[in-house]
Amino acid sequence: MRNSLLILGLIILFNSNASAQSYNTLWIPDTLTGTNFNLTIKDTFAQIVNTGNQTITGGINGKFWGPTLIINKGDLVNMNVQNDLNDSTTIHWHGMHLPAVMDGGPHQIIPPGTLWQPYWEVKNQASTLWYHPHMHEMSQEQITKGIGGFIIVRDAAEAALALPRKYGVDDIPIAITDRDFNTQNQFSIVPYGDSIMANMTLRAQYSVPAQYVRLRLLNGAIETSYNLGFSDNRSFYIIGTDGGLLAAPLLINGATPRFLLSAGERVEILVNFSGQAGSSVFLKAYNQSLGNFIPGGESFPNGPFASFLGHTNYNIVKLNVTNATANPITSVPTSLVTNTYPLEQDAALTRIITLSDSTGVTSVPILGPNAFILGHQLFNFNTINHSIPLNQTEVWELKSTSIFGHPFHIHDVEFKILTINGATAPTYQQGWKDVVLVEGGKTVRFIAKFDDYADATHPFMYHCHIALHEDEGMMGQFVVTDINSVNEISKEEIPITLFPNPAHDKLFVEFKNQAQSAYYVSIKDFLGRTKLMLPQPYLKDGIDISTLVKGVYTISIMEKASKQVVTKTFIVN
Amino acid sequence: MKSTLAIGVCILFIFVFGSFNLTLEKRVDNFTLRNVNGKNVSTQDYKDAKGFIVIFTCNHCPFAKLYTNRFNELNTKYSNFNVPLIAINSMDTLMYEEETFELMQQKAKKEKFNFPYLQDLTQAVGKLFEAQHTPMAFVIWKENNEWIIKYKGAVDDNGAHPKLANSYISKAVDELLVGNPVSNSETESFGCAIFYRK
Repeated sequence: MRNSLLILGLIILFNSNASAQSYNTLWIPDTLTGTNFNLTIKDTFAQIVNTGNQTITGGINGKFWGPTLIINKGDLVNMNVQNDLNDSTTIHWHGMHLPAVMDGGPHQIIPPGTLWQPYWEVKNQASTLWYHPHMHEMSQEQITKGIGGFIIVRDAAEAALALPRKYGVDDIPIAITDRDFNTQNQFSIVPYGDSIMANMTLRAQYSVPAQYVRLRLLNGAIETSYNLGFSDNRSFYIIGTDGGLLAAPLLINGATPRFLLSAGERVEILVNFSGQAGSSVFLKAYNQSLGNFIPGGESFPNGPFASFLGHTNYNIVKLNVTNATANPITSVPTSLVTNTYPLEQDAALTRIITLSDSTGVTSVPILGPNAFILGHQLFNFNTINHSIPLNQTEVWELKSTSIFGHPFHIHDVEFKILTINGATAPTYQQGWKDVVLVEGGKTVRFIAKFDDYADATHPFMYHCHIALHEDEGMMGQFVVTDINSVNEISKEEIPITLFPNPAHDKLFVEFKNQAQSAYYVSIKDFLGRTKLMLPQPYLKDGIDISTLVKGVYTISIMEKASKQVVTKTFIVN
Repeated sequence: MKSTLAIGVCILFIFVFGSFNLTLEKRVDNFTLRNVNGKNVSTQDYKDAKGFIVIFTCNHCPFAKLYTNRFNELNTKYSNFNVPLIAINSMDTLMYEEETFELMQQKAKKEKFNFPYLQDLTQAVGKLFEAQHTPMAFVIWKENNEWIIKYKGAVDDNGAHPKLANSYISKAVDELLVGNPVSNSETESFGCAIFYRK
């Protein structure tokens, strides 16, 4: 550690001096738009600490923390994810409703040098989502390195509203996280950092216009929850949560307007800076008021959980108000969008998921006194914990006997919180959610409908979004199954034609039996390196093999209904 | 919290053994590897060598790429004192296509390496040194006809800005050349991880 001591000292020094040079301009990630997105993940480095060595980071398209993907509801988006790290990874589209095989969870491992091409129709409503690695047992390390980025989903309902929408001007994404730097300015892989970062910028400041500004806040931390508010205790409006806009803006006011944002959660807020040009205010974490068992509320002086930021209040980003832009947003809409949530009376069942400490659980290997588990068992790659019929509405009851708070995240669906410990959830948590903090000993109930995507093979995950806990096995998995299709599995021949062979640029795969189709295609070179991973590819237009160098390759095609695999050899010339 | 015990043990260890560093002063054997010119290079070839600067590096790592000029300069300077620089690529060529011998040859030629760039195809030498990253630097020194590791860690403290960098290697070699112990014998290495096949 303890260059961080120095860094903290500097932060305190800078804060007390409050001089303009003390701050770095908040980095606003580039945007990518359209329907085809090229994301190359690679090792890179960045000058994060002002003096001394660069920090080794992960990056996407050469940047530490990846581009913001702006996508539209209804579009078919194609992702070209090239892994040029020197380690395997996955990219999970957090909050996105899509087929499990495209989800980028721990089962969709992208080896080094491989291009993974998932695609899906965007069914999510306008919202702030994100993407990040989900490589089991390596999530903490790879997220720490800064691999990830925002996804902004747009739709017609949101576009019709008079909301700030100028990216980086009055619509500002801020990924909040914390890191620990060692003596060589490198990231320590620890649950709590000593240095707060906004969009991977230390001591960030940013200019905001004197009007209503929309902040899209993401908690991208490994473990910390942030109890957010402004240094002048100004009121603000929450307009959206994880899965999209609320029915109406929700005023957060009072003597100390705050809301808690846990790992993985997002919130969109509107802040009124009208008439305040020339002034400054800090977005802050007020974690001193958090209890000892909320992540970030503890105060360990020593050991791996020690953090200078634990149980304290600290600045996240300084916002300097400048002149208003042309056509500023100067008022808050009275209503936003109509959300139709599943009804409890339509739930087929209540599924109980326990969150507990491993102590005393005989089926769990000794992990130490405070490893945490779901459903009284550790995550096992080969165990499907739950099978959910397609289109079923369910209540999930998250029952914690754990001593600690855990932000619970589920893939596939956005949910609506019904109750927290029998009481109605705080108003700001009553929109669409995909992460909810389950405090120690409490019970959270939510309702969700598992529609659109059935796949008996590839599971979706649910887990604690504290990356350390997830890596240690606080995770489970479920499949959504279409009961109308399970009887069709048979072990019949899968005659396939591959042409042309030798091939150049395009390779065509044709099933002679037209009832058959591809579930998964992977192409390996003659040494067995995976080059292309194509989940449920659309084969009519051929497979683009223009990235492959000349040589001999094998193509493995898993048939959709039978899941049988056919392997053939072809030549690229 | 799991590591609390481990940390406790470490603290006890440090308490008992003080600052004595067991990882250093480790003996390494002579080694022979194939150079990019096709010929084998052995530490035994350098009859007059007092020591070597051994650098583990590779073709693809963005951080390692920053160091080529510095390696040339270090080799030029310290070869005169019979402490030549040897660069070794221990990356797994099966996993990483960019690390093939042919691409090593191209890189050495294009970037005008003035030092041997050796392929550690079996990763045996990487394992011998316990090299963790590219780049990672070692200084080995001849004592009683054996090679002893005197420094291991980062090359210097600024990858992107050579003029601002303090060279840990230069300092270590300079100290050794005048017969002093190395004052900063271990720093943390970082860069691209070297993964070893079992």
